[in-house]
Amino acid sequence: MNEKKKISYMEKKMSRQYFLMVLPGFIIFTIGLIVPLILAVRYSFTSWDGMTVEKPFVGFKNYIDLMKDSEFRNAWWFTLRFTIWNTIIQNVVALLFAVALDSGIKAQKVYRTVLFVPCLISALVVGFVWMKMFSNVLPALNDVLGTNINFLLLGEKKTVLQGLLIANNWQWIGYWMLIYLAGLQSVPGDLHEAAKVDGAGPVSRFINVTLPMLAPAITICVVGITTGSLKVYDLLVSSTKGGPGRASTSVIYQTYTTAINGRQYGYGCAMSVTLVLVLLLVAMIQVKGLKKKEVQV
Amino acid sequence: MKKKSLLSLLLATCMTAGLLAGCGSTEAPAEEAPAAESEAPAEESTEEEAPAAESSSDEPVTLTVLAGQSTTDAGIEDMIDEALAAKYPEVTLEWECVDWGNDFQPKMQQYMQSGLPDIMIGKAQDVATYAPQGILGEIDSTYLDKGLDAARENVTIDGKTYGLVYNALYQGVYYNKTMFAENGWEVPKTQEELQAIIDDCNAKGITPFASHMIDTWSIGNVTMQFMMNDVFNNDPTWGDKFRAGEVSFAEDEAAQTAYQYNKLIFDNTYPETFSTEQTDCDAKMVLGEAAMKVSGSWSIQNFLDIDESFDFGIFPFPNQTGDSKLIFEPNITIMTSAATEHQDAVNKVLDVLTSDKELAVEILDYTKTASMLKDVTPTFTNPSQADIDAYAADGMIVDVTLGNNQLVWGGFQEENAKDIAAWLQGDESFEDCLKASDGRVDASSAN
Repeated sequence: MNEKKKISYMEKKMSRQYFLMVLPGFIIFTIGLIVPLILAVRYSFTSWDGMTVEKPFVGFKNYIDLMKDSEFRNAWWFTLRFTIWNTIIQNVVALLFAVALDSGIKAQKVYRTVLFVPCLISALVVGFVWMKMFSNVLPALNDVLGTNINFLLLGEKKTVLQGLLIANNWQWIGYWMLIYLAGLQSVPGDLHEAAKVDGAGPVSRFINVTLPMLAPAITICVVGITTGSLKVYDLLVSSTKGGPGRASTSVIYQTYTTAINGRQYGYGCAMSVTLVLVLLLVAMIQVKGLKKKEVQV
Repeated sequence: MKKKSLLSLLLATCMTAGLLAGCGSTEAPAEEAPAAESEAPAEESTEEEAPAAESSSDEPVTLTVLAGQSTTDAGIEDMIDEALAAKYPEVTLEWECVDWGNDFQPKMQQYMQSGLPDIMIGKAQDVATYAPQGILGEIDSTYLDKGLDAARENVTIDGKTYGLVYNALYQGVYYNKTMFAENGWEVPKTQEELQAIIDDCNAKGITPFASHMIDTWSIGNVTMQFMMNDVFNNDPTWGDKFRAGEVSFAEDEAAQTAYQYNKLIFDNTYPETFSTEQTDCDAKMVLGEAAMKVSGSWSIQNFLDIDESFDFGIFPFPNQTGDSKLIFEPNITIMTSAATEHQDAVNKVLDVLTSDKELAVEILDYTKTASMLKDVTPTFTNPSQADIDAYAADGMIVDVTLGNNQLVWGGFQEENAKDIAAWLQGDESFEDCLKASDGRVDASSAN
């Protein structure tokens, strides 16, 4: 009986400790994320302009208007294309770099550092740097080389996505590569040895041993890149400002200009609520789908 | 189970409390509003406290300043700090400098919820946006009287002046005087004369216009220049009629012509305009790679930084009737908070700004802009000043605030410019571009 009481007391004490440790984070999370989210939902049902005291209730009007808003649809179309290409390119290239670095090549640390450094730079700076690259530095190469390559990628609707993908991938590939590299280095050597004994070649070992063991890293990378790309904003601010025209206007950019510059706070909140819902949905589907493929050792 | 329930309850309480706190905060402006809206006390306080600037109390005060700056203005805050420290060392300014075009309005919206800074520096058109909200303090005539009368018109609402206009920009077509002289071109007054110059430029392999359409603001800016001369010149209340449904972009030929001028420039500029920034564009102009540039005084700083001997003039972009006026834009406009607790110190700042002529000249020389203070003339050599003086003498100058007050920048002009850019690039039809502008009618007014 005493033993039981002792365990119960210990459990209570532990629970209290866990609770105290969680509390600061929980309060910050609630004030910084949950409350604004709830307020955004509330404002999304109003026609508030962000300045006046009155917040006239308009029901679902903002959401109905969103369905008919071609600018919002275009913003989603750009964001989706940016996200899909980013997810594919960054995952594939980051994994290839990680495999290359894991193969024991010389100066591995140098390559790793060089590839990782861009992600330490602010996206605002990256956008500015690449805008200068595309409009000044690279076109000067044409003069030197006597070529006529179109480097003005950010100046046209049909090429602006490519330009932004180059800038974004340049910045983030090194970061995701490190996660893959960590995953690769944690794959037990015994598994490779066993596969080798069974007669598996390098490609077969990569597909049947390495990739399944990398599933947790793939989950992190895919979800991280997807949600990060869906939220692209700062890169656009310093490079294209959503242009030319509206060719590179992302959902967040459109939300910001509508809510703040356009003084349609309520409508902008409706835009952000839809983005949150899509982000949640995408993350849930990806995590569920990818978790199934994860292998526990 | 009990623990889980308790935790859930706590979670819910936290969220509800947070929500209530969040909702509660929105009531703050409601409480402040009546005080701000009842202009009498604000008026009284400024009138009572204005002389306090003369009989200064020496208690240290720090005033907060939100400065929405144009590209030319960054750096003037140090000059003001220095002059203020010399005359009123007890007053310190805590600056928050932001880009007027992109960030001033968002910041103002944010501060309208949490409390305005003591001083705000924006443009004259901001007065029409914020004064009706009852949040701006009336500027005392002690300081207004030191400015030009012309500066008051568009910052005065219902007989009360809420902005102190400090300097002004001129907008029009900057032209390379040397190039014009060498090619025997005269300043064009009509579209036909302008077209003749463009044709001659093209025939001689000269790029007629330098432009930087990567900056959507530049498209929006020149479009308002065109609107002023082709639309507002003939109908000064066009914007109000637009909101009343009496006119529209889709049906008004003059407004369409104003939009079409963008195409004229786009067709007669270098192909990389959508990849060219203002500095590069201004450099092309100075280096003789283009003959003209539709712009404003903000380009002078770059022109003279690149080549201080660059000889340029300015003329208004010709309209359909050949009676275009040079555009005048009141720029740095000082506004004060109606709810400031330091009116005495605010007045000291206004005193320094309006009475320190050395400071004024320093700022005007730095920003390469014109004075809106009496008896203050910048000392920098402005090659286009002779042209400005000539248009002023002929009464051919118009204040763009008229158009900017009726068709606001944020949410309207700015968004229209994006459609114009899309149309120029062939991604949108001209009709859709006009339709989009008409669809934004609700966002065309600040109030």
